[in-house]
Amino acid sequence: MKENRIKDFSMFLITAVLCGLMLMTPAAGFGAGKTIVIGGSLPLTGAYAETGQWIEKGMRFWADEINTKGGLLGRPVEFKIYDDQSDVGKAVTFAEKVITVDKADLLFGGYPGTAARAVMPVAEKHKYVYVSMGGHMKSFLQGYTYSFGAPPLMGEWWYEGFFQWLATVPAEKRPQKAAVYTINNPVGLSLIDSIDRWTKKLNIKIVINEKYNAPLADATALIVKAKQSQCDILFANGFFPDGVTMMKAAKALDYNPKAIVQGIGSVVPAWVKELGKDGDYVFSGTVLSGQLKYPGNDKLNAYVKKTYNLNEYPLYFGFGYAWMQTLEQAVTGAKTLEQTKIRDWLKKNEVNTIAGSLTFDERGLPAPINFGTQLINGKVELISPKNIQTREPVYPKPAWEK
Amino acid sequence: MNKAYPVALAILVILLAAFPCIGPEVYYLSFMFSVFMYVILASSWNFIGGYGGYLSFGHAAFFGIGAFATAKLATMLQLPPMLTMLASIPAGGIAALVALIVGYPCLKIRGPYFSVVTLCFAFVVDLAVKNIEFLGGAEGLWLKFMDIPEKTSRTIMYEVMLLLMVVTLAVSWFLGRSRFGTGLTAIRSDEEVAETMAIPTAKLKIQAFVLSAFFPGVAGGLFAYYLGYIHADAVFSINISILIVLMAMFGGGGTWLGPIIGAVILTVVNEGLSTFAQAEIARIIYGALFIVVTIFMPNGIMDFFRKKGGKT
Amino acid sequence: MDAVLIIQSLISGIMMGMVYALLGVGFSLTWGVMHVIHISHAAFGLIGAYLSYSLLQYCGVDPVVSAAVSVPLLFITACGLYQLLIRPITRAQNIVMASMILTFGLAIILENIMALIWKADPRVLTPTYSSGALIAGPFYFQYPHLVGFGLSVLGITAIYLFLKKTYTGMAVRAAWQQPEAAQLYGVNLYRISMITFALAVSTAGAGGISLALLNSFEPHSHNLWLIYLFLVVIVGGVGNVIGTALAGLIIGVITGLSMAFLPFQWVNLVTFGLLMIFLIFRPHGLIKQEGM
Repeated sequence: MKENRIKDFSMFLITAVLCGLMLMTPAAGFGAGKTIVIGGSLPLTGAYAETGQWIEKGMRFWADEINTKGGLLGRPVEFKIYDDQSDVGKAVTFAEKVITVDKADLLFGGYPGTAARAVMPVAEKHKYVYVSMGGHMKSFLQGYTYSFGAPPLMGEWWYEGFFQWLATVPAEKRPQKAAVYTINNPVGLSLIDSIDRWTKKLNIKIVINEKYNAPLADATALIVKAKQSQCDILFANGFFPDGVTMMKAAKALDYNPKAIVQGIGSVVPAWVKELGKDGDYVFSGTVLSGQLKYPGNDKLNAYVKKTYNLNEYPLYFGFGYAWMQTLEQAVTGAKTLEQTKIRDWLKKNEVNTIAGSLTFDERGLPAPINFGTQLINGKVELISPKNIQTREPVYPKPAWEK
Repeated sequence: MNKAYPVALAILVILLAAFPCIGPEVYYLSFMFSVFMYVILASSWNFIGGYGGYLSFGHAAFFGIGAFATAKLATMLQLPPMLTMLASIPAGGIAALVALIVGYPCLKIRGPYFSVVTLCFAFVVDLAVKNIEFLGGAEGLWLKFMDIPEKTSRTIMYEVMLLLMVVTLAVSWFLGRSRFGTGLTAIRSDEEVAETMAIPTAKLKIQAFVLSAFFPGVAGGLFAYYLGYIHADAVFSINISILIVLMAMFGGGGTWLGPIIGAVILTVVNEGLSTFAQAEIARIIYGALFIVVTIFMPNGIMDFFRKKGGKT
Repeated sequence: MDAVLIIQSLISGIMMGMVYALLGVGFSLTWGVMHVIHISHAAFGLIGAYLSYSLLQYCGVDPVVSAAVSVPLLFITACGLYQLLIRPITRAQNIVMASMILTFGLAIILENIMALIWKADPRVLTPTYSSGALIAGPFYFQYPHLVGFGLSVLGITAIYLFLKKTYTGMAVRAAWQQPEAAQLYGVNLYRISMITFALAVSTAGAGGISLALLNSFEPHSHNLWLIYLFLVVIVGGVGNVIGTALAGLIIGVITGLSMAFLPFQWVNLVTFGLLMIFLIFRPHGLIKQEGM
């Protein structure tokens, strides 16, 4: 018994010492010299890995570009990217690590919205500028002064473009009854906002308005209900997996409303690649597009064509790049790495990104940006507003291809 | 030797408590905070899972209940940030109360069936929080942060979590040596035999279950405060439930030291790997750790060293 | 509430439930026969799904046909893995626990290897019939559901017949019910365990393909699948093939009915809540009798 206890205790000590050693290990030699370190965490494994990896690619493309141009403030930039394993708690810890241990010069934005919501207060407390997509409108109403959505992924704005176009459709041709299915999480809930406002304005009756929790194993009942109620517009406010399940069920049950509007599942490249023709004619929104005439978009498109064989850069690739563009211009403009000065510069000046020129208000948000989109023949076409329209939308939706 | 043991432990605790005095960066405080948190979770799981042999796969439920109850209390009562931390104690009480209600029918079920009932329970709580606005809602909740320098507030959180860990471990230590603990161990080895020996099995089990829900509840409250914004996905995740079980069993369930070793090693290794290796590779190494340890120490790390100790 | 909705919802619920059952049946066997809780079971299912995805994408092979390739492949792999990983831990005091920790590690490794090979992007298995349906009156039977359902019934029947009718199958049952006696009769327990394990893993592969016909999948999807197969196995009774199939049906019926009657927001909650209550009242699963 005695012997055991000694062993117990020595084990305990060993663990404690090991733990201490790990902690004291200096975080590899960087931050030294003239490199500008930009740190943060992304979900590179786990549930949000796909998106996290696209953001990383976009950021790295920016870094290569700026380093060949001679760097930021004349100094080369380097990333310190941690994998938060799609865990919000880890995202917070890594943000603190980047700020306090790695002493990174700049912080980059994370994903998903819940992680951004938790990291925004960290940035605020440490007085670090945090340029990200944010966590929808609620997160920008918390009074943070260092957070910027540049551009943000704002669920509340997501369908603006689509509805603006729909308003131009003669009233008798508009859908009359809407089925709204929403995933029960911050993204889904913020998407409802614009639907509520616009359906009232356009006199569309919401016949079905239901939420569901992920995972959505089967969408048969949802589609049958929508079909029976003769809803001629379907809002599928969700992600990729539930979006796919719903589309497949809609086709199989031959439910063909005048328009299908999908949340943020249809913006990932996999939608077109995996669903092919069945994914066509879906309406959605975006804040970024390779087809916009803003400077830089052609360059990005050429890069993804060459590297990933995609016709247009994916939304999250663009996000990663645009956030970095914002930071770059803020740092160059403020001519310093002092966070407060960078923030003040951003509050007063305009930045030019691949999402256009942005100026930020008190909340750290630009004026609402949104473009209506529709997938036509496997290509994301911009349908609204009129001045950037790449193609007349296909409406009403043609019958399913058998 | 027996006297030296508690003294050494006391010194270790004092050293840990004094750690913020040497002025470490905030990250180290936060990281240690999470290590303490997992030690608390694994050790309190061990009350019912390790000693009693009832493997609860839904312990994140209590952690999450504590987190949401704290946030809810704070917003409903308009508590100032400092008091919010205290609100995690009644929040722990709420978690314990839920455990009492749920434990009563569930603890009649044995073996894997108990594990799955608790797993279902964790989902039910998670979904209830998401669906019912009053309990938290799918948007999540924000907490106000303290109006003091970040380092001070993180130091306070560090010390409070350390205190909670010490209390949890003291209970765990006591449990291992008390009649209560002996009764639980008897239940683990053979519940029928334990009953014939006039051990009040039902009472012991429910007591252990309630106790094992209380500490995660309080820890959840502190974690909510640490995050500043909580969402059901962050605290009710099935991954947390599984991680708690693995930490305890990895070190060696049914001993008070096992869960500590498991929690410390797994947390440190996971954090270390994400610092030094590429994302997927880091995860693969992490996975390999479980395999290697199980093959060489199939009965847990504690057992392995005990046996080694016995031989020499 | 109208009948079409209820029946339609039940149809897809039941087909889905059977797919879960196929995914779960092997899990149930390894647990029952070897006391190994195989956490990476669903990850092997996911490998099956990815293999058939690649075969369909690059060689145009139908998922049902590719099952004929990936199932034997998984069988061989599993034999190797058994020798390498599972056999060494059979000397643990608590095999259930040791196997859980070990296979949890294995699941993490498999998930990330899949992420390295197939990338993190979500995938959808789209054979030519992927979004068609058989129309019978007012009811629609979606082809992918039908194929997944058919594959599941086939797989479960095959396992059942194997255990009931073949010599090896009977040895597996004997090894489980009376290990000592079986050994006396010359049954090689290690060999039996290896076959059981490999068989279980290959049914997981087939189950993975069936499930991939219904939903999209990503490298981390196995975590979700694991929850469903846990439920199916426990409700059906550990080690019980028929029970597992019945449990799949029951879960399908519960989901189908709650989809038809309840607001969708409450479906998942009610499903898990009902299963919890079910287990409280029937703590040994559907069929108490040990054996098949």
